[in-house]
Amino acid sequence: MVLLIAGASLTGVLSAGWTPVLGVQLQGGVEVVLRPADEVSDEQFERAIEIIRNRVDAIGVAEPDITRQGDQVVIQLPGVKDKQRAVDLIGKTAELTFRPVITFFDPLDPNQLAAAKQVVDGSGGVEAENVDEETESSVSLSDLLTPPDGDEAAATVALLGSTGQTGFVLAPAQLTGEVIEEAVATFQGQWIVNLSFNDEGALLFDQMAVENYERQVAIVLDGVVESAPTINATEFNGQAVISGSFDEAEAKNLALVLRFGALPVEFERDDVRTVSATLGEGTLRAGVIAGLVGLALVGLYMLLYYRLLGLVAICSLAISGATLWSIIAWLGESKGLALTLAGATGIIVSIGVQVDSNIVYYERIKEEVRRGRAVRSAADGSFRAAFSTIIWADLASLIGAGVLYQLTSGTVRGFALYLGITTLIDLAVSFFFMRPLVVLVARRLVNERPSRLGLNVTAEEAPV
Amino acid sequence: MSFSIRRLYRGDTSWDFLGVSRRVLTGSIIAVLICVVALFVQGLNLGIEFEGGGVWEAPASEDVTTDAIRETASDIGMSDARIQRITGGDDIFRVRGELPTGETAESVGSALAQAAQVDSELVSARTVSPSFGDEVAGKARRALVVFFILIALYLTLRFEWKMALGALVAVAHDIALTVGIYAIFQFEISPATVVAFLTIMGYSLYDTIVVFDRVKDNERSLSLKTRMTYSDLANVSLNQVIMRSVNTTITSVLPVISLLVVGSLIMGATSLQEFAIALLIGLLVGSYSSLFVAMPLVSALKRREPHWTEQDRSAEVLSESNSIENAATALAADRYDRSAPPRPRKKGRKR
Repeated sequence: MVLLIAGASLTGVLSAGWTPVLGVQLQGGVEVVLRPADEVSDEQFERAIEIIRNRVDAIGVAEPDITRQGDQVVIQLPGVKDKQRAVDLIGKTAELTFRPVITFFDPLDPNQLAAAKQVVDGSGGVEAENVDEETESSVSLSDLLTPPDGDEAAATVALLGSTGQTGFVLAPAQLTGEVIEEAVATFQGQWIVNLSFNDEGALLFDQMAVENYERQVAIVLDGVVESAPTINATEFNGQAVISGSFDEAEAKNLALVLRFGALPVEFERDDVRTVSATLGEGTLRAGVIAGLVGLALVGLYMLLYYRLLGLVAICSLAISGATLWSIIAWLGESKGLALTLAGATGIIVSIGVQVDSNIVYYERIKEEVRRGRAVRSAADGSFRAAFSTIIWADLASLIGAGVLYQLTSGTVRGFALYLGITTLIDLAVSFFFMRPLVVLVARRLVNERPSRLGLNVTAEEAPV
Repeated sequence: MSFSIRRLYRGDTSWDFLGVSRRVLTGSIIAVLICVVALFVQGLNLGIEFEGGGVWEAPASEDVTTDAIRETASDIGMSDARIQRITGGDDIFRVRGELPTGETAESVGSALAQAAQVDSELVSARTVSPSFGDEVAGKARRALVVFFILIALYLTLRFEWKMALGALVAVAHDIALTVGIYAIFQFEISPATVVAFLTIMGYSLYDTIVVFDRVKDNERSLSLKTRMTYSDLANVSLNQVIMRSVNTTITSVLPVISLLVVGSLIMGATSLQEFAIALLIGLLVGSYSSLFVAMPLVSALKRREPHWTEQDRSAEVLSESNSIENAATALAADRYDRSAPPRPRKKGRKR
């Protein structure tokens, strides 16, 4: 039964092509732990994490893992290529800027892309000849778009809107988010966002309004055009209203963006770790080899000591291993949870716990047999007592794993997770697999010859 | 009390664990004291995760010396940096120190890469802010306190408070010894070692629970008909679980030794090494303390209960020479009565 489930889950996982996601220490990459410099509200914190996630997506990391752990954000970017750039980008306090719109383009239309490229390069001071040459070759979207960390205030940039369906070519920034005092979403027949500026901002905004009267100005955050309202007045006196076809969520989100700027939270870098791919691979290889050698030694010992029962123990380990592999692959695939170094060592250590369940049971059987009980009935009868011991002992491990998982972060937390998982697997495998197989072995193969179980006690010798 | 592997293997040992417990406990107390003294005198060698600072690791080739790396480090203002060449598998240079002002983790990394004559992509780096370490340590402490309280409650509910106390003292003993060894040898403490300490606690508790479970079981099956003292009961139980303890310790230690030898010495993965050393020490100490610290303590507490004092007294009246053997026999007989109707002796193979 368990055999079926374990087999089925393993085949399922393998055929789906899922493999465990490896952590930064095992395949190289970047790990950053950030903490807000000041007290922040939950709302701000969540928003900040959202922004970090967008930035990471923009770099194009295959399996990023970004989690909030208490008052810290842990960002793991396994396998990321340009490590330093990734580190810089994540915690950067990018600014909110107001940029006049020069022109629009459709990201799917090659002709428009080429035209937009010309505008961007032209304003950047590139000589006309070069521009002509480039327009002849096709311009891809990634060539055109300004990279996430190239959003310089003084440059002309090409960016996409938040839905990704409209492209904008934007002039240098004329205003930054610092001058905004307050931004609130209100409902007045439709959803609008009320903006108020400080004195300096009021002046600058009016200046921009005069220059761009009846034209659109883009509100840019982190390389994304959040909104591009049309200026329809030249004098605002420090108060502006952005209206459009917003729904409630859009309006509130825009207000939030305007209020908090780019990262609503200033982060301190608590821990920054970059691991080169070679070092990561070395650690992984060492861990795998050490694990296999350890397993082989344990298997050998169990075989020598418990003979046939040792074989059962090896099978139990194999079943647990298959189940664990499936779970790790599933966690990696569905939750983006990576197998960390701490987790991997936890698993190697759990071999001991798994084998112990077998040993507790076998020792009970041996004891009963020494008292003169038949192997068969001993195998049946000892399980209850042995399993109760296993449960109580495993429960202590689970309590430990639970406490650690709840109260710690980072390395220790990863370890606690895998400790908990392997303990649960141990319980299930002991009950559903080890017991029936031992009973079967006792009935069919031992034939009342305890020596096959590593019992060299004959009935005459047994003390009564 | 004769030592015989053969008897141990067959499981019919009758060693007087509690008889030697006084001497053993004295040894343990002295060891713990030494460790505590070492902890206060020498302190712990804390990793950068707790102290802040930076660590850079670069592959080391034959023709670059540690001195060349040290020179480069001094040039960029890291003259206090600790520079090691770690051998085993592929050699690496490990540089640990404070990040100099005006430098970034990357600029230091590329300077070191140049000195080591490797591509800067091959350099691994880690920088940690000092406040982070306080936080990690604080969290671990809090988790530890909650863990102890929960386990104490759990053991009190499952067994009784005396056993909970015994188990926790044993765990504290294990942690003290392991941390003490870290202080004495100045091994570096990292989050991985903290994880290892926590694992040790788990193992030690697990071991102790297996012993207690057996004692409880025997206590029930004994009923009042035998004249067993609590010490006898404890001794019998310990003899019953000794083989399991030995085997479990061996099978737990084998993967750890493999991790230590294969993982770190042959392949040169330092991160595995830190973890394995703590585990190895802790595993050995943990199985020892379950048998020789936890149980004797519980036994000493239990003997004060009226019922067991009574048993002690009556045991004194009788000849006590063979009390353990008697107890074992009584227990075995009791087991046998309950287990099955008497069955004919089976024919064992003669040898």
